[in-house]
Amino acid sequence: MNFESEIENLVVDEDSGFDAMLDTARKRTARALDRIRRPLARVGFVDTGLGTLFVAEGPRGIITIHYPHGDSAKGVIRELKQHFDLETDEEAARKIGASIDRVLKGDLSALDQRIDLTLAGDGFQRRALEKLRKVPPGAVTTYQALAAISGEPNGQRAVGNAMASNPIPVFVPCHRVIRSDGAIGNYGGGVDRKIALLRAEGFALGKELKVGDTAVYGHQGTHIFCRPTCSAARRANRARMLIFADAEHARHAGLRACKLCRPASAA
Amino acid sequence: MDTTSRLGLPPPFDEAMRRHEREILRFISRVTGNRDDALDLFQETCLRAYRAWPTLDSEDGVRPWLFRIATNLCRNRARDMARRSRVFVTTGNDLSDAARAHSSSNHSRDGVIDISGAIRALPEKQRLAFAMRKLTGMDYSEIGEALGCSEDSARASVYQALKKLRALE
Repeated sequence: MNFESEIENLVVDEDSGFDAMLDTARKRTARALDRIRRPLARVGFVDTGLGTLFVAEGPRGIITIHYPHGDSAKGVIRELKQHFDLETDEEAARKIGASIDRVLKGDLSALDQRIDLTLAGDGFQRRALEKLRKVPPGAVTTYQALAAISGEPNGQRAVGNAMASNPIPVFVPCHRVIRSDGAIGNYGGGVDRKIALLRAEGFALGKELKVGDTAVYGHQGTHIFCRPTCSAARRANRARMLIFADAEHARHAGLRACKLCRPASAA
Repeated sequence: MDTTSRLGLPPPFDEAMRRHEREILRFISRVTGNRDDALDLFQETCLRAYRAWPTLDSEDGVRPWLFRIATNLCRNRARDMARRSRVFVTTGNDLSDAARAHSSSNHSRDGVIDISGAIRALPEKQRLAFAMRKLTGMDYSEIGEALGCSEDSARASVYQALKKLRALE
């Protein structure tokens, strides 16, 4: 046998034991990998009434909904890759997109989705987002009130930042946070999207982009809702107040009308 | 354009490993010359690659990247063995010295060339470059990337290795 064929023999798995060795290597490696595997997340783009969205869903629920601009989705991908193995799945994206479209058409039951707040970290942002999830559809809170119930009474700006980088808008309803003067304020995906979502949840927003005249103030402690001008409402702890689109939404959330200002008669 | 290419997602890890596992194991096996060591290093290569997988942006360069991990592990192992032999053996042979000594007669008694032994006796860089070129068919730019050297240097290493092996004929 000459030199060239000797070399050739190295290339061919002439050693009959090689396949058995590869098999052993596969099994050992699979066992070791199983111990350190990251969970699988399915990602994709989907067209919705809110425009094209980049979405990701993992075994524990929706991980992110991102309003892409330029190459921004790549940044989200980089963050996702630290925690998940990624796989494209346009079908999973379509399902999430269909839920968002149902929300925009007023079917608020579509908001009941499992979510995974991994990308929100463990600090203030997560705390604020967890508190925000308790604001029901048809109601809004203020940056100030949300800061207070999240344990930072002077943390309005921090709440603003937390909302701006909310990983799961729509389902973690950062569109339900407005300014204390009743103006709807800004939104990570653009104000137009915030308006669309608030309108879908029953808010009549005028040209001034403030909550309408039908809005009532509901107190989460007393479970009473009042007109904004009610003296009782003015005395109440603002941190525990929610602003409902109208009396009907407040009643639906389990609150009763104030006996002083009688907001139900205004609705 | 699908999402993968639109976002520059790397291919799924398992798919990439399935594509390259055979040549990586063959490479490690030839370089170490020991079945158990090869199995250990193959497993470690996969684990390291998996942990570092999020740093990849696309499929480009996956192959040399995997080989670079395998190569570094092989080098680490050779260095560890050399250190151990310096501690326990007064002669102070390192792995390649030992292999070189072993291969001082690369011809067996019946005159057949022991190519595997001769390859293990090559200097480290030549041995790795040769193994990548001849066992996996990698091109010189990929070999350069895997070894952390230029394409020309990789080509020269393979040439030198071949020259030394041919001299055994």
